[in-house]
Amino acid sequence: MPEYDAIVVGAGNAGSAAAITMASKGLSVLLVDRSDPPGAKNLSGGVLWGNDLSQILPKWQSEAPLERFIQDKKIGFLTEKSSIVIDFKTEIFKENKVGYTVLRSKFDPWMAKKAREAGATVIPGITVESLAMKDGNIVGVVESGDIITSNVVILAEGINPRLAIEAGLREPLQDWEVSVGVKEIIKLSPQKIEDRFNLSSTSGMASEYILGNLQELNVGAFFYTNKDSISLGIVSPMEQLRENGVTHTYDIIEQFKEHPSIAPLIDGGTVAEYGAHMIPEGGLDMVPKIFGNGYMIVGDAAGFGFSNGLVLQGMNYAFLSGILAGETAIEAKARNDYSSNVLAMYREKLENSYVLKDLKTFKDIRKVTNNRNMYTTYPKMLEGILLEMLWERGQPKKKVRDILGSCAADLKMSKLKTATDFYYIYRRM
Amino acid sequence: MILDIKERLGKTKYDIDKSYAHITVDDRICEKCPHHFCVMACPAQCYTMQDGKLNFQYEDCVECGTCSVACDQGSVKWNYPKAGKGVIYKYG
Repeated sequence: MPEYDAIVVGAGNAGSAAAITMASKGLSVLLVDRSDPPGAKNLSGGVLWGNDLSQILPKWQSEAPLERFIQDKKIGFLTEKSSIVIDFKTEIFKENKVGYTVLRSKFDPWMAKKAREAGATVIPGITVESLAMKDGNIVGVVESGDIITSNVVILAEGINPRLAIEAGLREPLQDWEVSVGVKEIIKLSPQKIEDRFNLSSTSGMASEYILGNLQELNVGAFFYTNKDSISLGIVSPMEQLRENGVTHTYDIIEQFKEHPSIAPLIDGGTVAEYGAHMIPEGGLDMVPKIFGNGYMIVGDAAGFGFSNGLVLQGMNYAFLSGILAGETAIEAKARNDYSSNVLAMYREKLENSYVLKDLKTFKDIRKVTNNRNMYTTYPKMLEGILLEMLWERGQPKKKVRDILGSCAADLKMSKLKTATDFYYIYRRM
Repeated sequence: MILDIKERLGKTKYDIDKSYAHITVDDRICEKCPHHFCVMACPAQCYTMQDGKLNFQYEDCVECGTCSVACDQGSVKWNYPKAGKGVIYKYG
C-alpha cells in the first residue's frame, strides 16, 4: 500500500488548490514545497483572478491575505516621451470583486494553511530530488534518498519543472516557451498610493504596458498597487532577448521606472525587494502530455499561462487546473485505478474548461507578441496620430485617413503593409 | 530611485547554502561559447565576463531558471537548492 493517495509537489496556487480539493474529500495527501514558508520562492507578475477559488474556498475574499481589489485596469503603450493609456475604471469591478493584487509570500502560506486544515499533511522546506518510477509508472517521490510512495503524484513545481524534465515527462524548455519577468517592490505609504492613484483604502489599480521606448526589444511591463507598496516589472520573451543580445534584463526594468510617466508615480518610494521569474509564453504548443500512469501536471509546470502583451494571466489557470487534477484523483481513488486511462479525465476536464479553450483560441498569439511593429512602429504611429488630432500648432488639420497615411509613411510603412499587419494582429488577438 | 543591480539584490533576502552550489557551469564549454548570452539574460548578474573569461557565482541567484534556458551549449547544470535554502522573498 502506498503511503499516500496523492503527493503534490509544490505549494503554489496550483498545488495547494489540488491538495485542498483532494483532502477535503478524504484523500490522504502530502503537500511538499521546497521553500519554508511555502511561497517564499514565488513572485506574482499578474492580477489574481479568483473566480475558481470559490469552488474550494468560498470565503476567500474575506479570509485570504489579499492586497487591493482591482477597480481600475489600465492598458497602454509607452513611447520615449508619451504614454497612451486606456483607463478602465468601473463600478462593475467593485460590485464583483474577483481580481486582486497579491503578494505571494503572504498569499501562498494562507493557501497551504487551508490545505492543512482540509486534512493534508503539509511539509515545507523539502526539495524533492526525483520522481520514483516503477515499471513505467510514477509511484512516488525521492527525498534525501528515501522514497515516499503514493498512488498519484501531482507535479505543481512551477515554470522551471526540473522533476518533469529529469523524468522525461517533458522536454527542456526552449526560448520560445518562456519570457523572463523581472520585478521590484517599491514601498509607498497607503496614503500616497490612494491619493496618487485616486483609490479608496481597499481599491487598487493594475496597469499593463507595451514598451515602445526600447529599441530592438519587445517588452511588456506591469504596474500594480498593493496596500503599502507598488509591484512593478517587465516581461520580455527569451527569443527577443537572445536576438537582441546586448541588453541586460536587470537594466530594462530601470528604463521602465525612469519613463517620464512612470517615475512620478513611484517618486518618494524605496525599493524593498528585487526578484525575477520565468513566465510561460508558449501557449498550447508548450503544453506537454499532462497525465500518465500515476501523475498529472498542473499550473505553470504544464505551461498554463496567457499573455498577449497587454493581459497576463496564470494564477487563475493554476487554481482551476489544480482543482481539476484533484477531482480526477478523487475519481481515480473511487475506481481504484490511477492509470493513464482514468487520469485522461484530467485532460478532458481541461478541454471543457476555459484553460485549454483560451490556449486554443489564442494559439497564434506569439505571432503578435513577437511582432516587432507592436513594440516600435505602432506606438510611434499612435503617438503621431494623437499629436495631429489633439495638438494645435497653427497648421491646417488633416482627416484621420490622411494622418494615418502620413504617420505610416514617416515610419517607412506602406499603407498596404500596415493594413495587412493590423488585420493579421486583429485576427489573432 | 534608479539603483545598481548589486544594490537592488542587496534588498532581497537569502539563506545561502555555503556547502552546495545548486547551479554549476563547465568552464571548458563556456570558454568556447560563441555568445555568452547568460551574461545578458541572468536578472541577478550571476554571470559576468572578467578578462574575457566567464565568471559565475550562485550566491545572488533568485532561482528563476533563466540561465537553464539561455545556455544552449550544455554548460549550465541546474538544480533547486536544498531544504529551503536560497532566495526567500518577503513580498513576492
